[in-house]
Amino acid sequence: MTNSGYTVHVENLTRMFGTFKAVDNVSFQVKPGEIFGFLGANGAGKTTTIRMLCGLLLPTSGKAIVAGYDVYKDTEAIKRHIGYMAQRFSLYEDLTVRENIEFYGGVYGLNRKQIKTKTAELLDYLKLWEHADKLTASLPLGWKQRMALSTALLHNPDLIFLDEPTSGVDPESRRNFWMLIYELSEQGKTIFVTTHFMDEAEYCHRLSIMRDGKIVELDKPQSLKQKYKADTMQDVFMKVVQKVEA
Amino acid sequence: MHRILYLIQKEFRQILRQRAYLGLIFIMPFLQIVVLGFAITTDVKNVPITIVDEDHSAMSRRLVDAFSVTQSFDFQGLSQSSNQAKEVMKRGLVKLILHIPPDFEKDLKNNVHPKVQAIVDGVDGNTAGIALAYVNQIAVKLQQEWYSEMGLHPEELLEVHLTEVETRMAYNAALESVNNIVPGILAVLLMAVTAFLTGMSIVREKEIGTLEQLMVTPIQNIELVLGKVVPMLVVAFLLFNVGMLGAGLIFGLWMKGNLFSLYLMLVFFCLSTLGLGIFASTIAKTQQQAMFIAWFFMVFAILLSGFFVPIENMPDFIQMITYLNPVRYFMVVIREIYLKGTEIQFLWKEGLAMLVFGLVTFISASLRFHKRLN
Amino acid sequence: MNQILLSIIKKEFWHILRDPQTLVIILLMPILMLFLFGYAITLEMKDITTVIIDHSKTPHSRQFIEKIRSTDFFNITGFNIPESQIEDIFFRRQARCVLVIPSDFASDLQTEMRTKIQLIIDASDPNAANFINNYFAQLSMRYNNENNPRLAMPFSVEPRIFYNPDLKSDYFFVPGLIAVLILLISALLTSIAIVREKEIGTMEQILVSPVHPVQIIIGKVIPYTILGFIDSILILLVGHFWFGVPVIGSIVFLLFALVIYILTGLSFGLMISTITDSQQMAMMAALLSTILPTIMLSGFIFPIKSMPLIFQYVSKIVPATHFLEIIRGIMLKGNTLLDLKVQLGYLFGLAGLLILVSVRKFSTKLE
Ligand SMILES: Nc1ncnc2c1ncn2[C@@H]1O[C@H](COP(=O)(O)OP(=O)(O)O)[C@@H](O)[C@H]1O
Ligand SMILES: [Mg+2]
Repeated sequence: MTNSGYTVHVENLTRMFGTFKAVDNVSFQVKPGEIFGFLGANGAGKTTTIRMLCGLLLPTSGKAIVAGYDVYKDTEAIKRHIGYMAQRFSLYEDLTVRENIEFYGGVYGLNRKQIKTKTAELLDYLKLWEHADKLTASLPLGWKQRMALSTALLHNPDLIFLDEPTSGVDPESRRNFWMLIYELSEQGKTIFVTTHFMDEAEYCHRLSIMRDGKIVELDKPQSLKQKYKADTMQDVFMKVVQKVEA
Repeated sequence: MHRILYLIQKEFRQILRQRAYLGLIFIMPFLQIVVLGFAITTDVKNVPITIVDEDHSAMSRRLVDAFSVTQSFDFQGLSQSSNQAKEVMKRGLVKLILHIPPDFEKDLKNNVHPKVQAIVDGVDGNTAGIALAYVNQIAVKLQQEWYSEMGLHPEELLEVHLTEVETRMAYNAALESVNNIVPGILAVLLMAVTAFLTGMSIVREKEIGTLEQLMVTPIQNIELVLGKVVPMLVVAFLLFNVGMLGAGLIFGLWMKGNLFSLYLMLVFFCLSTLGLGIFASTIAKTQQQAMFIAWFFMVFAILLSGFFVPIENMPDFIQMITYLNPVRYFMVVIREIYLKGTEIQFLWKEGLAMLVFGLVTFISASLRFHKRLN
Repeated sequence: MNQILLSIIKKEFWHILRDPQTLVIILLMPILMLFLFGYAITLEMKDITTVIIDHSKTPHSRQFIEKIRSTDFFNITGFNIPESQIEDIFFRRQARCVLVIPSDFASDLQTEMRTKIQLIIDASDPNAANFINNYFAQLSMRYNNENNPRLAMPFSVEPRIFYNPDLKSDYFFVPGLIAVLILLISALLTSIAIVREKEIGTMEQILVSPVHPVQIIIGKVIPYTILGFIDSILILLVGHFWFGVPVIGSIVFLLFALVIYILTGLSFGLMISTITDSQQMAMMAALLSTILPTIMLSGFIFPIKSMPLIFQYVSKIVPATHFLEIIRGIMLKGNTLLDLKVQLGYLFGLAGLLILVSVRKFSTKLE
C-alpha cells in the first residue's frame, strides 16, 4: 500500500494495442471526495484508461496507484475498494432486479441478512419495489443504469468508476442520475466519470479532456471556460480541439 | 468460499429460467437414445438383390428361392438380362446381382461345376464384404443339400474333413446393437452438454459484458470456474440418470456393474469435459467461434472415441491423437461397467487418464483465464 | 428491391470478412476434419487382440494356429492360459476373442467330417464381434479348401466387385465425410444468423427499414451459400487429390447438386435461427439435431436398408441421406442426372419446405 494523499495517482500511463497507442502517456491525480470527469469523443481512450485503473487491463508502461494500490501488482486489493460500472449495461438481464442485487451482494461477501437489508434499502432508494421481481431486461434503460450503479455500491466502496453511465438515457433520467452522483460525493466518495456530453462536464469538480489517447486539458470547468473565453463547455471543447489540430 | 454459493444459485436461476433450454437438455437426449437405439443395427440385413436367371430350370429356381426367402436379402425380382441388372445396380436400386448362367442344371448334372456369378456394388466395402459372405453361406447350404441328393461316392466323402468355428458371443449373445449404441450415445451427449454449455455460458458472459463486471469483483478465478462447473455437474448427473432410466425402460438395458463405480467415473469424465469447455472458452472470442470449436470437438469426440469405429483399426498416428479425446476413455468405462459389469480395479487406467485430463485442462484454463481483458 | 437485397448481402459479407479468425476456422476446420477422419474411419479391423488356448498340441492344431499368425488381422496376446482365466482376460481387455482348440481336434479331424473349434468373442462391441466372427469363418474356409483338394462342390460362386474393386474404406467414407461435413457446416453457419441479430438488437434496426422478410432471408442465404461452396470445393479437392477418390461422373453435375445440398443445409440452419430466441439455444439445437442424425441415420456408416422400416422413412428427412447417394453415385459410379433425379427431388423438396417454414415463422414473429 502506497500513500500519496491522492485517491488515484497516474504517471505516464500508456497502453498499446499492437502498434496502436490507445492511451498515450497520460498523467493526472484525483483527490479524495472529488468528482473527476473524463471528457472525450468516442475512441479517445477513456474506457481503456478506466479499465487499466480497475485492474482489467495491464498497462503497457507508466505508473498508476488506485486507492493506494498498484495496478500492476495489487489488482485484487483494488477490486475490493472500488465500484465499477461498465460502459455497457452488464447486469444479468435474465435475472430479476432482486436476484441481481442478491447475486452481487453475495459476490462482494455480504451475508444473507446484510443482503436482505441492503436489498430493501436499494429498492426504496431506487423506487423499484413494484419491479423487484421483474426481469431486468424489461426495465427502461434509465432504471437499469441506476440499478447498475447501486449494485456497484453494494460493498460500500470509497472510489467509484462510472464509464459513460448516461449514454442513451433520456434527459430527465440523466438529471436524476447526476443527482445520485452528487449525493455520493456528499457522502465523501470519490467519483471518476467519463462522458461525451458537454453539459455533464460542467457538473464535475475537475475535468480532463482526452483526444487520441492524450490528455489535452485538465482543470476546473470554470477555469477552462475562463482560459478559453467560452460560455459553455461545448465552446471550450471546440476550441481545445482546434488548438490541438493547429 | 460462500461466494461460490451465490454463483451457483445464479447459474441455476438462469438455467431454470430458460424452459426451452431445459427441454433441449433432457428431451433431446431422450429422443436421440430412442431413435438411434431403435434405428441402428450393425448387422447387415435386407441387402437389395436381383437375379438374372438364364437357365430357367428347376435347379436355378431353387437357387432363386433360396435367395428370396432369407432376411439377409431383399429380393427385388428377376432381371431380364445382365445389362438390365447392371443398370439397376448403377441406379443404386440393388447392391447385389446373382447371375445364373445358361445350362446351369445341365452342367450340374454332368458334373461340370458351373459358376454362378455374384456381382456386388463395392461402394460400401463393408456391406459388400458381408453380402458376399451371406452369398457364400447360402451357397454352401445348397451345395451340401445337392451334394447328398446327387449321391456322392462314399470314399470321396470320407476324405472330406472340415473344421467349423463355433462362436459364443459373450456379454451380448444376440449381438444387440442397442447395447452398444445406448452407452455410446450417453457418453457423447454428456460430452456435448457439459463441455458445450459451460464453454458457451462463459463466452456468452464475455460477449454480453457481464464477465467484465464480474472481473472487478473480488471473485477468484477458481470460484468463477467452480461456479460454472458445479451446476453443470448436477445437470450432467441428472441427464445421465434420465438416459439410464430411459435405456432401461425402453430397451430393457439395465446396468450390470456397480452404480457407484459408474458415478465415480462419471464425475471424472465430466471433470475432463468441463475442463475442456472452460479451456475452449478462454480461446473463443465470440459465441460463433465457440460453436465451431464445439462442433469440431463433438465430431472429433464421436468419431475418434471407438464408438463405432474401433480405435485399433486406425493408423498409429490417429491412435495417438485419440488419447486426447476424453470420450475415448469414458466409452470404454461405460461399456465395460454397463454391459460386462467389470470391476473398477480393471478400469483405473481410464479413470486416471480422465482425471489427469480434467486436471490439466482445468489448470491450463485457470492459467489462461486471467481476470483481465485482452 | 434489388438495391435493398444487395445491401443486405453486402452487409453480411462484411460481417464474414471482418472477422478473419472465424473465417479461418470455417474454412480450415472441415479440411482438418476430412484429413483426420478420412484416415481414422475404416471398418477393416486389424490387430485383433486374440488369446489362443491349444488343448490339442498337435501338428494339425499348430498348422491352424500358424494360419492365424500369418494374417495381420490378429495380434496374439496370450497363449495357453488356463481356461478359468478367460473372463479375467475379457475384464482386463487383453483380448477381444479367445480361441479354444479342443484336445480331440487332431483325432476328430482324421475321422469325422466336421470338427469344432471354439471361439469366444467379447461382444460388448457387437460390430467388432461380427467382424471377428467373419474373419474366423473365412480363415476356416480357406483352411478347409487347402486341406481338401478333392472337395469339389456341385457349383461355385464367383464374386465380382464393381465400382470399388479393392473394397477400399476410403472410397466409401471420404465422399461420405464430405457430405456430412458440408451439411453440418452449412447448418451451423446460418443457425445463428438471425438469432444473433435479435440478441444484439440490430434486427430491430433492419426491421424498421422497408425490407421484406424474404429479402432478409435471401440476403442471409446468398453469402453463406458462397462460403459453403468454397468450403465444399476445398474439401472435394482434398478428397480427390489427397485421398485419391475418383470422380467418374460429371463434375458440373456434382457442383450443381452441391449447391442444392448446401442450400438445404443453410435452410435448416435458418429455420433453427427463426424458432430460437438466443444464440446459445440455437447452437445447441443446431449441434444436437444435426451431428448425430447426420452421422448415424444417413447411411454414412450404417446401411439404411438394415434399419427398421419406420426409420428408413425417417432417414428420408435427413438431407445427407440423399446427398450421400448422389455424391457416391457421381464420384464412384458415374451416375447421371437421370439416375439421381429422385434424390435431387428430395433435396429440392426439403430445401423448399425449410425455407418456407423459416419465412413463415419469421414473418409471423414480426407481427
Ligand atoms: N481490445 C482492444 N484491441 C484493440 N484496440 C482497442 C481495444 N480496445 C480499445 N481499442 C481501441 O482503442 C481506442 C480507444 O478506445 P476506448 O478506450 O474504448 O475509447 P473511448 O472509451 O474513449 O470511446 C479505440 O480506437 C479502440 O478502437
Ligand atoms: Mg468508452
